Amino acid sequence: MSGVKLSQLVKRYGDLEVVKAIDLEVQPHEFVVLVGPSGCGKSTTLRMIAGLEEISGGEVTIGDRVVNRVAPKDRDVAMVFQNYALYPHLNVADNIAFGLRIRKTPKDQVQKMVAEVAEILGLTPYLDRRPADLSGGQRQRVAMGRAIVRHPLVFLFDEPLSNLDAKLRSQMRAEIKRLHKRLDVTSIYVTHDQVEAMTLADRIVVMNDGAIEQVGTPMELFLNPVNTFVAGFIGSPPMNQIRAEISGSSNAPVAKIGDQLLPLPASADVADRMGADVTVGIRPEHAEVHSLGTSPLNVELELVETLGSEALLHTKLADTPFIIKTETEEHFSTLDQVSAFSVNPHQIKVFDIDTGRVLGQAGA
Amino acid sequence: MQSESRLSKIGYHLRREWQIYVMLLPTIIWFIVFLYKPMYGLQIAFKDYSIFRGVDGSPWIGFEHFEFLFSNDQFIRAFWNTIIISGLNLLFGFPAPIILALLFNEILHATYKKTAQTIVYLPHFISSVIIAGIVITAFSPSVGIVNTVLGWFGIDSIYFLTKPEWFRPIFVGTGIWQEAGFGSIVFLAAIAGVNPSLYESAVVDGANRWQMMWKITIPSILPTILIMLIIRIGNVMEVSFELIILLYQPATYSTADVVNTFVYRQGIQSGQYDFAAAAGLFNAVVAFVLVMIANTLSKRYSRTSLW
Repeated sequence: MSGVKLSQLVKRYGDLEVVKAIDLEVQPHEFVVLVGPSGCGKSTTLRMIAGLEEISGGEVTIGDRVVNRVAPKDRDVAMVFQNYALYPHLNVADNIAFGLRIRKTPKDQVQKMVAEVAEILGLTPYLDRRPADLSGGQRQRVAMGRAIVRHPLVFLFDEPLSNLDAKLRSQMRAEIKRLHKRLDVTSIYVTHDQVEAMTLADRIVVMNDGAIEQVGTPMELFLNPVNTFVAGFIGSPPMNQIRAEISGSSNAPVAKIGDQLLPLPASADVADRMGADVTVGIRPEHAEVHSLGTSPLNVELELVETLGSEALLHTKLADTPFIIKTETEEHFSTLDQVSAFSVNPHQIKVFDIDTGRVLGQAGA
Repeated sequence: MQSESRLSKIGYHLRREWQIYVMLLPTIIWFIVFLYKPMYGLQIAFKDYSIFRGVDGSPWIGFEHFEFLFSNDQFIRAFWNTIIISGLNLLFGFPAPIILALLFNEILHATYKKTAQTIVYLPHFISSVIIAGIVITAFSPSVGIVNTVLGWFGIDSIYFLTKPEWFRPIFVGTGIWQEAGFGSIVFLAAIAGVNPSLYESAVVDGANRWQMMWKITIPSILPTILIMLIIRIGNVMEVSFELIILLYQPATYSTADVVNTFVYRQGIQSGQYDFAAAAGLFNAVVAFVLVMIANTLSKRYSRTSLW
């Protein structure tokens, strides 16, 4: 089994640098998700690993082999495409067998391998059907079958679920997760959907504007985002970010939001910025409305969005939109009377107002 | 009851989308005036037509013209010539634009590709008269380039256009030269419509360009190929009549005279309108049957059909 290593990987189109010298090491068996907004360079990075885009600078290593000049077919990777890339004129069995036939695998072996993969993916009853006669989820399974059947060193997924509806997407997400557990093949998965990233990944790579913002496990990214971009990208709804002024003392700093005061965790970085503006980040989940703790902040409730077991309270905190996520059970009837919240100071993040980088966090 | 509701449905559509129907109107009028109204005159194929008595005044004579037609050696010959020339056209002329489109698709250099395309499109825009002039000059025994080149190899000049055995190759070849480039546009458009990730996926799977052409491009444009083939088969009896008139001469009638040129000579030149109408009608019936067969077969075997 092989890992994948990107060293100072660059992609340039003319003068435009779309991937800016990124470094990343994917361990063998690992499931890594590249996530970021459209145009952040995540798909381009994946396509450079696959060999579909020329590499402008740096190196891609698969296993212990630098593959910059290796043809896609010899890299031993398999790719699953967003729009499935199934051959409309071939039935499911022939679609799955395509790569094997191109490689001149013996007939009886092809048949055996296709049957095996179809079994894994639950496609056996559909082997004679054409893609046009399949549902979206089935097509996506065929696309994965094509990748699996070749037993590649690395799986590459390019937004494979974005053409599916929400329900099917969560089903397929679970299926991909199960499949990875079963096959245990190094996988690199590109998506713009942070929920997919959170649920599938061993590690998430957040990309923005051609560069890597942060690499970490889903919970690391959720709890300790290194900057406002990651804070705003991971989590649904994303972390609330409010402009505030630091005051108080270096041992007991507080954030001045409008005319309200919010206690902050003490740190040297925060103390250094006494009197300066910062961005304060509070996760919607961390705002407590039912048993108010110390120094509650007053908010103006605008809208309650009920999601079932949870509700989103759209409020305004010092004229800035602020979202609170809370449980509905037991409290549902009082939700529309919420006027304040409190938050554990240790769950508050403080970011530099200019660079957006987190303050007072080890390794940041 | 049902027809009533259908009528009201049509009325509803007419009221709601009348602008679209107004845009359709010129085409419908064109069809009525130039294609349906003349069909009234087809009855002269079954009449002893005289221009003085008119279409309605001429007496019915049943299938007399058709009986005469099928006992007319010249017509039988013209019929077989039509079939043979069309067959050759189908065999060589139909694949030519497809091959051309596939070749263009493999050219990566943009400027080179555009230049090459323009060059092969050009002959389509040249009048048949000029095309025929070029062909006649090229094959001329005295100054023609073909005979000049043959001369370099010590081969005596051949009077190509007076030799029946050369007429069909020259005619079919001219047709390909004139139309293959332009005809390739529709196939190029079909190729452009192929999902690019099919190729990328094939590249990752290890397919080379040749395999991609056979396993992706051609199967993907097969529906277009079949539709074009059906249309082509429907036109089998319509051999490019102008070009034949321009290129043939009595010496080559034996291989060059087709039903349309036969109709032209009988009808327009000899004034036997009724007889010519019978020949033309027969031609149309054969074409109609052919296109029906082609469409049915295509629908059955490839799920692709004109209607």
